[in-house]
Amino acid sequence: MKLLAKTNRYYLLLTTVLFALASVVLYYGLFRALTQEVDEQLSNRRLYLENRIRRKQTLPISPFEYQMDVSDRHQRPGYGDTLLLDPQEQEMVPHRQLTFPLRVAGQRRWVTLRKSLVETEDVLAVVLGVMVSVLGLLLLGVILINRWLADWLWGPFRATLHALRGYKLHQHEVLQLAPTDIDEFAELNQALTQMSQRLVADYEALREFTENAAHETQTPLAIMQAQLEQLLQLPALEDPQVAGLVTGLYGATLRLSRLHQALTLLSKIENRQFIDVQALRLDQVLEEKVRQLESLTETRQLALSTHVTGVPALRMHPGLADSLVHNLLQNAVKHNHRGGSIEVRLSAQALEISNTGPALTGDPARFFERFRKQQPTSDSPGLGLSIVQQICRYYGFTVTYAFAAVGARHTLRVAF
Amino acid sequence: MKLLLVEDELALRTTLVEYLRQSGYVCEVAASFQQAYEKIKLYQYDCVVLDLTLPDGNGLDIVRALKADQSWAGVLIISARAALDDRLAGLDLGADDYLTKPFHLAELNSRLRAIIRRRQFQGSHHIAFRDLLVWPEQAEVFVGEQPLTLTRKEYDLLLFLLANPNRVLTKEAIAEHLCGDAVDATDSFDFIYTHLKNLRKKLQEKGADNYIRTMYGVGYKLSTE
Repeated sequence: MKLLAKTNRYYLLLTTVLFALASVVLYYGLFRALTQEVDEQLSNRRLYLENRIRRKQTLPISPFEYQMDVSDRHQRPGYGDTLLLDPQEQEMVPHRQLTFPLRVAGQRRWVTLRKSLVETEDVLAVVLGVMVSVLGLLLLGVILINRWLADWLWGPFRATLHALRGYKLHQHEVLQLAPTDIDEFAELNQALTQMSQRLVADYEALREFTENAAHETQTPLAIMQAQLEQLLQLPALEDPQVAGLVTGLYGATLRLSRLHQALTLLSKIENRQFIDVQALRLDQVLEEKVRQLESLTETRQLALSTHVTGVPALRMHPGLADSLVHNLLQNAVKHNHRGGSIEVRLSAQALEISNTGPALTGDPARFFERFRKQQPTSDSPGLGLSIVQQICRYYGFTVTYAFAAVGARHTLRVAF
Repeated sequence: MKLLLVEDELALRTTLVEYLRQSGYVCEVAASFQQAYEKIKLYQYDCVVLDLTLPDGNGLDIVRALKADQSWAGVLIISARAALDDRLAGLDLGADDYLTKPFHLAELNSRLRAIIRRRQFQGSHHIAFRDLLVWPEQAEVFVGEQPLTLTRKEYDLLLFLLANPNRVLTKEAIAEHLCGDAVDATDSFDFIYTHLKNLRKKLQEKGADNYIRTMYGVGYKLSTE
């Protein structure tokens, strides 16, 4: 529910209750005031009549007999309400009456003075009508002005929200927000801008660190590798014992270098540093990679067949596409047996690579974990499928693994 | 053949210079952008081996300067920056090749020879080694007078060995040279073993016996004697 609707709901509730209460109070208040006014008028007339009697004058004859009634019979004295028939309008009209005893010429009479309440009711109706309509208009006006104000006042907020939604960290830009004269939103914008500045700085630092780490580590590795290769040329290395030590060291250096490259790639993907995308033909990448691996598949007598039934319309970084296909194919070669087969199927929806190979032990869901190896003694860092998974996650592809016991086929499927 | 090696890292520079001199090059060094810039302005080189990240400048500017002077020197970039963009930028500026650190020394030499061969002799160059004669432009190999028929991979392997005579070439270096550096070297050892066996057999059939020596557990060596 919108903030505005929520506040309006309570606002309306309060106003309605107050409005009803005010109407009731107003009605009864006014009614009481007007009745009192009439009562006072009646009382004034009574005083007038009593004064007149005291001056030994007779009771006047009212032209409107219903306004003054003189009776010999005993009546209950005091104020009262009654309904009388209006002869013109032919309807019952409420009246206020005052009854009191009066001694006229030594004879006790009962006088009843009456006054129509029609005017009072009219006044009441007019006053109430005006008040209620003013209150109603006020309520309506408040709702409308609230809605308009909300639209106008919350404009900067919505602009901020829009800017946040469209904000991309890897553009290395601090969040740009339009200035506003509303303190709360200005504070919000300021806080957000500061946060984005920190984010950009952190992101930059991380990116620089990854790049520097990659660069700075490759250099000593290059020195180690070059010097070990030089060392291997020395005559002393004819001794198999020494040669074994140096080649062990050499192999470890190469492994470290490979591991480092793979980890750098993974962290670069995680940092979303592969922003450049271009339309890419995966069938061409596939063809090139298959050709690169030809030498390996030939030596291992692997039958590699490719079926391209459609080309997905992909936009991705060429380096990542290369890495994705390469790691999938390499995986299929590595976990195969001599004389096995690899089947590659590419359609517009998915890339499927299946290969023969020994059944795997362990939970298939964990194959994508880092440093997960089928043979713990293997020289490979065990990052291939993690890289595949990261690339898929980056582009929103799904990668699944399936094993068919018939023919012992492993299938990795990447759905675009 | 005269080379200029531009590399700021002392240990790597020393090793590379030692190796390049052993391989028969005349090698000069520059440890900074400034030194490199002065040297390419003063002298002519057959090839410049160039590190991109220098403390006082960008190696790519050396490539630009060379191209602006219309120098005939080849350029081989060696860089720790593996990013595709750097590679493309270097090659776009007119560098002949790009090698990512760390690399195998034998690979460096093989690429250098290819660059110099292309530039200096317009390909009309042959490689002679003992009884072997190779015409790289025509991809023809002779043992004495007899032509030798090789597969593509065997030929590549032979050229790689010929670029580094009398040096131990590790299995890893050979594997990466033949399969590309993306291929996990350990996966391809049986592959190079097969090809070496075939190459040896073919050489032996033409009477070129005992050219390739196996250094047990390490690699192979093209032997001069």
